[in-house]
Amino acid sequence: MARLNDDAQWIVLMGFIVSFALFFLAIVISQSTVVGQTTAEAVLEFPKNDIVNVRSEVFSASALSSDNLTRVKNDISSLSLSRKNAIVSFRISEAPLGSPYNKTIEIHYNNGVTAYDETTSH
Amino acid sequence: MKLCDGVKRNDRGVSESIGFMLIFTLVIVGIGLVTLYGYPMLLQQQVNADKRIMEKNLIVLQNDIKSITYKNVPYKETSLKVSGGSLTVYNTLFSPTSSSFRISDGSSVDVTFHPGQLQYESINAQQVIAIENGAVMARPMYAPGSVMVAEPRWFSDTDPITSKTTTVIPLIGLNSTIFMSQTGVGTVRMQVSTTNYTEISKPALSNQVTVYYTPDPNIYNFSVAWRNYFTNSLKWTETAPNTYRLPPTDTLVIKKYDIMVKSL
Repeated sequence: MARLNDDAQWIVLMGFIVSFALFFLAIVISQSTVVGQTTAEAVLEFPKNDIVNVRSEVFSASALSSDNLTRVKNDISSLSLSRKNAIVSFRISEAPLGSPYNKTIEIHYNNGVTAYDETTSH
Repeated sequence: MKLCDGVKRNDRGVSESIGFMLIFTLVIVGIGLVTLYGYPMLLQQQVNADKRIMEKNLIVLQNDIKSITYKNVPYKETSLKVSGGSLTVYNTLFSPTSSSFRISDGSSVDVTFHPGQLQYESINAQQVIAIENGAVMARPMYAPGSVMVAEPRWFSDTDPITSKTTTVIPLIGLNSTIFMSQTGVGTVRMQVSTTNYTEISKPALSNQVTVYYTPDPNIYNFSVAWRNYFTNSLKWTETAPNTYRLPPTDTLVIKKYDIMVKSL
């Protein structure tokens, strides 16, 4: 009988370790696609530019006379509803007495996913 | 063979052929187990993976539809691989007609709409996943019940400035010039064709705004998914089967989009 040669058992051990490592790596990789997609979706959904644009329009409208302001207000509401599918409304009032600002501006934005409300002074 | 303490070991019982047979039996049993249990499990895994991939693919298509409808993008195309089943477009004029939505307040509004469907059917997975009216829904093929995978964007908003409630209902129809179906690698091309915008406010609008959903009478019924969406997410009340009453709203906005699926 030939003697059992056990010099190379580490090869078998290495084989096991490598196969288990590959298995776990495969699990990690399969999860990563899901994470990437949901994160990308969340970024895509957030209407940052829409809100920034509405804010800028509202701030520039705050200098208008009350007649023109009503018109601009209706225009902004209808346009954002028809073009961007978002409900936008705002109110510009005189700042309370003693405040260092002239106007108080309230903005409401909602597109069904993101709702944004702001009260600010100008 | 001699052991360390000098006792002689008898190895006449050690046989090479018995050892070989033992090892060979182990190998055969191993192969048998893999063939009988491992391989079917692997196939099942593949089917499940196909199903999950298609669920994701349809969410990607839903995002394309969102871009086309809500973000004024005129045209979108996405390459995808349909595996384990087929992807079919049933257009709004498909006969016999598929499911429909009717929105009525009893007096000034009465809109009936056929959304059409983009539908993935997998015989292996016994699964149907569909995009209908901007929602992604899934259901088993031969069992009742359905589930909403990704919700559409119907919403109600109460403005804190004016205290007015507005309900926005987008109706998204999928159209095509011909009846199309595909499997394997393909490109889904979609283009916006027509849009229509209706806005009705009180006092013309009554408090009895009702949405009626008529499920597909022929094949796949997604009424459970819509019911869960209407009653749980939107908090509408179900007054009769597939009939939903909206809470009183000051303004109702119905936006109709017609998306042309150019190719699959």
